Amino acid sequence: MSKPNMSPQMKSLQDVRALAGAQLSLKARLGYVALLLAAAAMSTVILSLWITEPALPSRTQVAFGAMTLIGISWMGLALWALSTRRVLYARDRVIAGGMAVAFTSIFVVGAGAAVAIANNPAAYGALFTGAVMLAVALRVWAGARRRFAELSVRRAALAGA
Amino acid sequence: MNPESPSHLRADELLAIRCQLGERDAFDALIARWHEPLWRYLRTLCDSDDTASDLAQDTWLRVLRGIAGLREPARLRPWLFGIARRVAMDRLRGNYARAMEGGEALEEMPAPEPDADLESDLATLQSDLDLLPIRERETLVLFYLRELGIDEIAALLAVPAGTVKSRLFRARQLLRDQFRGDLP
Repeated sequence: MSKPNMSPQMKSLQDVRALAGAQLSLKARLGYVALLLAAAAMSTVILSLWITEPALPSRTQVAFGAMTLIGISWMGLALWALSTRRVLYARDRVIAGGMAVAFTSIFVVGAGAAVAIANNPAAYGALFTGAVMLAVALRVWAGARRRFAELSVRRAALAGA
Repeated sequence: MNPESPSHLRADELLAIRCQLGERDAFDALIARWHEPLWRYLRTLCDSDDTASDLAQDTWLRVLRGIAGLREPARLRPWLFGIARRVAMDRLRGNYARAMEGGEALEEMPAPEPDADLESDLATLQSDLDLLPIRERETLVLFYLRELGIDEIAALLAVPAGTVKSRLFRARQLLRDQFRGDLP
């Protein structure tokens, strides 16, 4: 709470600190990463079923189309928020990359199990898309760790100077 | 004190890199170090303390969202003031457009509030600065109060270094006249 005799600068400083506290909440930012991953997995599964099942009734096709659209919209929202509203800093990107690798690995294992058990085209589609997502996640994670390492080296050099 | 000295640039770069890494206490240090200079700069570009505080909030929001992508961390100082300036100019443009849409003549727009608190030298200086044309005022503030170099100001305002020098010369002259009581 601000004191009544506080200068305008001090009052403003207090407001900015509160703003920064809300902006820098790690929970909120990683929440968008989780949303992105969950929406990507959902869209992948539904899209695989939709494309690989040859004789779906038209109502089911409409439902699959709507659910895919919803998943893609959630992905768009999460990507927009992470690029403009709740940006990820170098350390957060390493955490987010690790989350993506773990999540897509679980997805690939699940899709692999579905292929082994059911051996249907939808499972193959999910496995293929999951493998692509895992490759992208590994690439993003490696890039994030490289950037973090570069900044850490520069930080140490400046701090020691 | 030269703001472009290697030690100043190193300190700025270190702070920016710590923020880019995502160190929470670095953001606290960044705000503690730069909030007041930015607020005072913004105050010279608007007509009230409340507007300056509002602009400072917008500025910090852009800083927090943009610092991860700052390519030259050693250029933190001009980058911060550049954002503050863009925020202030966006607001001025918005106010101007609204005034034109509403048919309000420029002369009818609210004049800068008179500074009632002239107890400190700083407040007196602020009220003197308020009487200068905005270009000269801004250049003077960036050079003397915010300690930016001629080249940094030129880059920030997107004008040649010679223009910065001539604005500084004119600002000093106007301020001198003002101190002598030549201005109304």
